[in-house]
Amino acid sequence: MPTGKQKAAKASASGLYKAESVKDVAESLNIPSLPDHIASALASDVEYRIYQVVEEAARFMRHARRTTMTTADVDNALRVLNIEPLYGHSGHNNPTFRRALPFSHLPSSGTVYFVEDEEIDFDRVLKEEKLQLPPGVRWTAHWLAVEGVQPLVPENPPAVPREDTAGPSTRTNGAGVPVRAQQQNALVKQVLSRELQLYYSRLTAALLPPAPDPAKRSAALASLRNDAGLQALLPYIVRWVGEGVVGALKEGAQSDVDGRTLEVLLDVIAALLDNASLFVEPYLHQLLPPILSVLLHSTLPYAHSARLRRHAAATLSRILTQYSTTYPSLAPRIMKTLLLALLSPDKARGTRDGAVRGLVGVGKDAVRRGLVDAGGARVVGEDLMPGEDGGLGDAVVDALRTLCPQSARPMPVDAGSELDARLREVMGEYFADRLAGDRDWAAAILGEA
Amino acid sequence: MSVATPSASSPEATSPTVPAATASNEPQGAATMDQFVMQYLQSRGHESAAKAVAEAIGAGELPSSTLSVEELLKKIAVFADKSGTSSENTYKEAMKIVQELAASGTTHNIKSVIMNIGPEGAEDVLALNPDDKREGFRELEAWVEGSLDMYRPEFRPILYPVFCHFYLDLVQLGFKDAAQGFFDAFSPSIEAHHSQSFAWLTSIRLPHHVQSDLQAQRLRNEKYIIQISRSGFDLLVGWLTEGVGGEAAGLGDGFSGEQGKRGRAAVMRVINNHLKFIAAPSNVSSSDVSWEESTGLLTSLIPQASKTAPLTNPNAFNARGGELKLGPLPMSEDLRAETEKALREQALGDPSIQLDPNVLRPNLPPNVIAPEVVDLPPHPSTFKTMDIQREVEKVRDARKGIRLDPSSSNIAARLPSICAYTLHDVPEGSPCCAFSPDTSLMAAGFEESYIRLWSLKGEPLNGMKSDFQVKPIRDSSSLGKIRERNGSPTRKLIGHSGPVYSVCFDPMNGSAAPPRYLLSSSVDATARLWSLDTMTNVVAYRGHQNPVWDTDWSPMGIYFATASRDRTARLWSTDRVNSLRIYAGHLSDVDCVKFHPNSLYLATGSSDRTARLWDVQKGSSVRVFIGHQGVVSTLAFSPDGQYLATAGEDLAINLWDLGSGKRIKKMTGHVASIYSLAFSAESSLLVSGGADWTVRCWDVKGAGGLLEKSHTNGMVNGTGSKNHVGERQEKNETGDLLATFPTKRTPIIKAHFTPRNLCLVAGPYQAPGGK
Repeated sequence: MPTGKQKAAKASASGLYKAESVKDVAESLNIPSLPDHIASALASDVEYRIYQVVEEAARFMRHARRTTMTTADVDNALRVLNIEPLYGHSGHNNPTFRRALPFSHLPSSGTVYFVEDEEIDFDRVLKEEKLQLPPGVRWTAHWLAVEGVQPLVPENPPAVPREDTAGPSTRTNGAGVPVRAQQQNALVKQVLSRELQLYYSRLTAALLPPAPDPAKRSAALASLRNDAGLQALLPYIVRWVGEGVVGALKEGAQSDVDGRTLEVLLDVIAALLDNASLFVEPYLHQLLPPILSVLLHSTLPYAHSARLRRHAAATLSRILTQYSTTYPSLAPRIMKTLLLALLSPDKARGTRDGAVRGLVGVGKDAVRRGLVDAGGARVVGEDLMPGEDGGLGDAVVDALRTLCPQSARPMPVDAGSELDARLREVMGEYFADRLAGDRDWAAAILGEA
Repeated sequence: MSVATPSASSPEATSPTVPAATASNEPQGAATMDQFVMQYLQSRGHESAAKAVAEAIGAGELPSSTLSVEELLKKIAVFADKSGTSSENTYKEAMKIVQELAASGTTHNIKSVIMNIGPEGAEDVLALNPDDKREGFRELEAWVEGSLDMYRPEFRPILYPVFCHFYLDLVQLGFKDAAQGFFDAFSPSIEAHHSQSFAWLTSIRLPHHVQSDLQAQRLRNEKYIIQISRSGFDLLVGWLTEGVGGEAAGLGDGFSGEQGKRGRAAVMRVINNHLKFIAAPSNVSSSDVSWEESTGLLTSLIPQASKTAPLTNPNAFNARGGELKLGPLPMSEDLRAETEKALREQALGDPSIQLDPNVLRPNLPPNVIAPEVVDLPPHPSTFKTMDIQREVEKVRDARKGIRLDPSSSNIAARLPSICAYTLHDVPEGSPCCAFSPDTSLMAAGFEESYIRLWSLKGEPLNGMKSDFQVKPIRDSSSLGKIRERNGSPTRKLIGHSGPVYSVCFDPMNGSAAPPRYLLSSSVDATARLWSLDTMTNVVAYRGHQNPVWDTDWSPMGIYFATASRDRTARLWSTDRVNSLRIYAGHLSDVDCVKFHPNSLYLATGSSDRTARLWDVQKGSSVRVFIGHQGVVSTLAFSPDGQYLATAGEDLAINLWDLGSGKRIKKMTGHVASIYSLAFSAESSLLVSGGADWTVRCWDVKGAGGLLEKSHTNGMVNGTGSKNHVGERQEKNETGDLLATFPTKRTPIIKAHFTPRNLCLVAGPYQAPGGK
């Protein structure tokens, strides 16, 4: 008889398949006392045979392009090993093992497990909801990558932000744009440094009118225009500008201070656009509303209104020339806003004035589309008294001049001629009168060379 | 270089040292079989029968005496185990018997056994004490790990065979517990480098397992080859004899004492008997993967010529294989003339096309031999209209295809566009999938024994009616009348009687027209040819005795190859039911097969962890590619015919130069099995897909090598190199991994490049939560 110590050693040596299991099987086959060493040897052999089968089954699993082994794999393995497969086991209904309650009168028997055999109630099964047949295999196609970039469509897994974006990725990028983009990514997690916070508060203090020192202000603007390393502050400055414009316009914007504030804020925007080291493009959608607000606001402080609108129009034109290539939907969107302001009824003169200036800023085509094709001039003309001069009327005429310069020796349009009729139809009475003095010019504006 | 005598005794004397192990293992030619019979009979107690057999084979005393020596020694060994410390008397008695036997015995074997046992014999018998092996291995490991950095990569491969032999020795001598203890103690350190090789070892627990296990027998009977530099070898010899040398300063003076000496002797015995050192090029340690190519039981992996000395270096065999004709597929002059005519006509019709007069005569890179038409397997001498259309289409594809160049600065040109075809509601898993060359059809083979065919354009797939009269069919229009109507764009092809493991569309129509045939192979040991005109099974090719794992068409059609579990690949032509060639030589299942683009060669990947290149016509192996540490699961030829990429269960992709047979680089990064590989048309980009639900793009020309830092693929796709488990990526990605595109839960079973260089991948979506 082996001592207890030896027994323990045997158990550890017999690996996964225990000698006890062999003994259990032997008992079930009516071999009550199987010697230990035979049981242990058998257990080892069983383990070896199991391994053989599993190795074979693994081949089938691998060739079936799966990472989990199924009973079908084992069946196939048994078949090629020339062993009768085990029938009745399919992957679809896994047998569940249950632990039996311990026998109180036979504590030595250990834990007993048995295969659960569920009783099926026929009535219940019949009453249960019928299962739908699966629709059968089908396929869908989607772009996993387009020229090396994985599109963020629902079929693809969501992008996982990477920890170390800055380091190795700059290595591979020759082009400038990706590097900029990565700076943007880096921004997200960046905490504003103390120095930048200080800079920000000083900057905003120096810019706004309560600090009357023009030298300080111009220094601040120059800093915005030229300093590198302000990228981290950009979102804050942009927000500050936006809030400033809203604040100035909300109070009616009649006071002189408001006018000056708006001027400064426009200067700030211009300075930001000037700064070559800043990457403004992602903030355009935040910058445009202040500019357009200034441009199209109905009542600007009188002394500043013309300058402000001209300034805003110029800034708008800068943005368009700078970004319309990378951001093709920019110009149409601005056009839409301007046309809305120009054409919709019941708009203040100031708004119309701004819209016309804005159109000039957008470009020649915009002017033609807005004033001539869409009838902007006619709408504006209806607001103006015949013979009234200056302001809005001049703005429109200026805009028309960008379409085509006035001729050096103007010849009047013949009253009653076809051109005159068309001129009145397209441009409305007011501007027809103003244009009537120059036949060639009028014709050119109407597009009848 | 063979092992110089490291010990006091001469190598001739030491060579068959471990008495029990060697005597029972020494292959004794034809007598081995008889011996097995004898052993069996004796073990069953049929002494008389054994005697009769022995007399019948006319070598009466000889085998029986051999056996008695073995058995005796085994008994001694078991006794030694039980008593722990040996009792001298028993041994002396045993020695006496042995010597008596020696007097009567005549065979060389017994003599050498006895000679060894002679004066030092007692010590050898003592050396069967399992503790010595344990001690010996511990010291060896300590010595290897303590050696200088420059030698460590050379020494490390020694550990694995010594470990295996020690374990097998212990098992064979019946020290089951000791073997288990030994395994538990030392397996963790070995496992890091040889995880794939471990499962088989743990299962061996009884002496007769050692006898019956193929792997164990290979280990016993073949020399394990290790490359080592001259100076490293000297250090090893020094350590084995003196117990010092090689370790870094301050690590102690090796091991000494009686037990240390015996342990060292045990190591030396294994090294003498089962290891063979060959001179390495000056510096092995230059890269840590180079050992893979020249270490292992290579003699049987490398095809051996009958007369010459056994080759131990795959490079030597590859050099002997002669030059390969790796040029593009040749075209007959008539076909070329006709194709040029067709191209010219096209160019006249469309002035935008610039016709390059040499488009059909591609420039060969230097040192590449172009095959002639006569080199090809026989094909019909005439050509059909379809052949011209195919060639014309090929030229057009080359002109219109997307150009991919991983070295380009333009990001868009560096990486391909990949279209993923996801199969939904696949109940059991889909082992295989294929796209037709013209991308009009997709086929998938399922475990439920059927193949499903889809028209990717949504056109109906109509077969023929089964009830029709043959008589009225005279021309194509009347044939069209018996075609079915209102088919659906998908079709089930039923015929196999087991899981379908591969499907392949015939390439004869190229991208000019839909393919006419489909080939499939299955666990039922058949390959089947399906006509896509009639949508029926036309031929079942029977010949393999075992599941057919893979099939591939020759690039010119007509011929195809199959790879099977019966360790052979076979060549077939569609019009014969018997195979034309059998490619035998692999030591285990042939798992995958692929034709070279010029159809002169065939590559096979096998479970013996090698890939081979075969001459299709001669049926001989011309190259062997050794280096994978796992089963070779898939392979792909580059379209320019210069490279072979193989992927293995060791999660690595190896790139081989066909001409020299040398490994160019090893690409790692996948975290689960790799199922499919595909080269882009320029051969500059490799796409792989696998069970880790990712598609990865590799730079073929770029330098490989592991990155120091965790590699991010450098693309701004924002996807990152994350695997689906969400673990942090291990640092096993090589520098040539260009991009990783994860899918949601789709293992990629097929990667494919269309003729216009668009990448298609396919796989079955695995719904989360069970099957």
